[in-house]
Amino acid sequence: MSDLTPAQRTEILERHLHDHGHVDPGDVDAAIAAAESASGDGPSPALGARVVARAWVDADFRARLLTDPVTAIAEYHPQTVPIAVLEDTAAVHNVIVCTLCSCYPGGLLGNPPAWYKSFEYRSRVVREPRAVLAEFGMEVDSDVELRVHDSTAEQRYLVLPLRPPGTDGWDEERLAGLVTRNSMIGTGLPLAP
Amino acid sequence: MHGFGPVPIEIDEPLFHERWEGRVWRMLAAVMGSTTIDRFRYTIEQMPPAEYLASSYYERWLWAIERLAGEQGILDSADRPAPTAWPSPATPTWAGRFHGGDRVRVRNPVTNGHTRVPRYLRRHVGRVELVAFAWPNPGESAATGTYGEPELVYTVVFAAADLFGPAADHTITADVGECDLEEP
Repeated sequence: MSDLTPAQRTEILERHLHDHGHVDPGDVDAAIAAAESASGDGPSPALGARVVARAWVDADFRARLLTDPVTAIAEYHPQTVPIAVLEDTAAVHNVIVCTLCSCYPGGLLGNPPAWYKSFEYRSRVVREPRAVLAEFGMEVDSDVELRVHDSTAEQRYLVLPLRPPGTDGWDEERLAGLVTRNSMIGTGLPLAP
Repeated sequence: MHGFGPVPIEIDEPLFHERWEGRVWRMLAAVMGSTTIDRFRYTIEQMPPAEYLASSYYERWLWAIERLAGEQGILDSADRPAPTAWPSPATPTWAGRFHGGDRVRVRNPVTNGHTRVPRYLRRHVGRVELVAFAWPNPGESAATGTYGEPELVYTVVFAAADLFGPAADHTITADVGECDLEEP
């Protein structure tokens, strides 16, 4: 292993790339700031929440989201890879993982949380999903089929969770406030109203 | 690999835990324009295994970006290597060897290069759910650093009990390229 810290190595790398015109430190600063302040116009859980909430109130959009998700999601943000939307029902609950690395619907949700990239989650959720979901505080009834989707190719997955009961008449914006990041990964449910 | 403990769930976690992580994240773009995502993954896989396991996520990225930048000659030259063209996510228009409902076996693609077939699925039989999309073969993209002709990729469903024993009552789907599937 290198004697230098990752921070020192990063500085050296950036200096070399900057000296030869391959990296602009101002662009790096701006990209980090934009990612850290994402509010729902660019890829972030807030953007995913808008898509889910619309699918809850707009049957036509929901149908398009399930049959042609790349085009439907492009109404919000262009998608550069195939994406499949997984519809939760009373009988089926979906969970996504990338056992090989960290593949995640980043074009919609932004960067994955650290736990999604951890060896613990990646190795265990395919093998014992009910135990892993319990660590997230989720109990899935034994009569609900659990489907774990391993992102082993360039297609990404998004879970379309069930609309919470008690939200009749709510508009899209209010519903979007109930959609959590984890509910679009499958390791959580939308918030209760 | 198994035996890892509880999932390290962090409440209100920041996007980047340290300043250098965000800079590494963004600097990936400097090398990615002239290679493939598969060659980036393949490069990470070249880390010595003990070092890989002991490194954080963005340390592994840093390790790979250092090497890819060296490979592309951009650490000491202003010359930019030829850009790669990103494949299209469009739905494929041609039929393949397998169809929805077919039983298929995952091949055991032992290679010194790169593969996206996880070890826990190799040699196991599943059922084709659908032809999902078409994409260049990741092993070739990793070896050449450019994207070649697309091949069909199938979403295949497996009973977890077949993989992990009768206590497992869930199903697993994975996306597998045509060349990594065979008749059972």
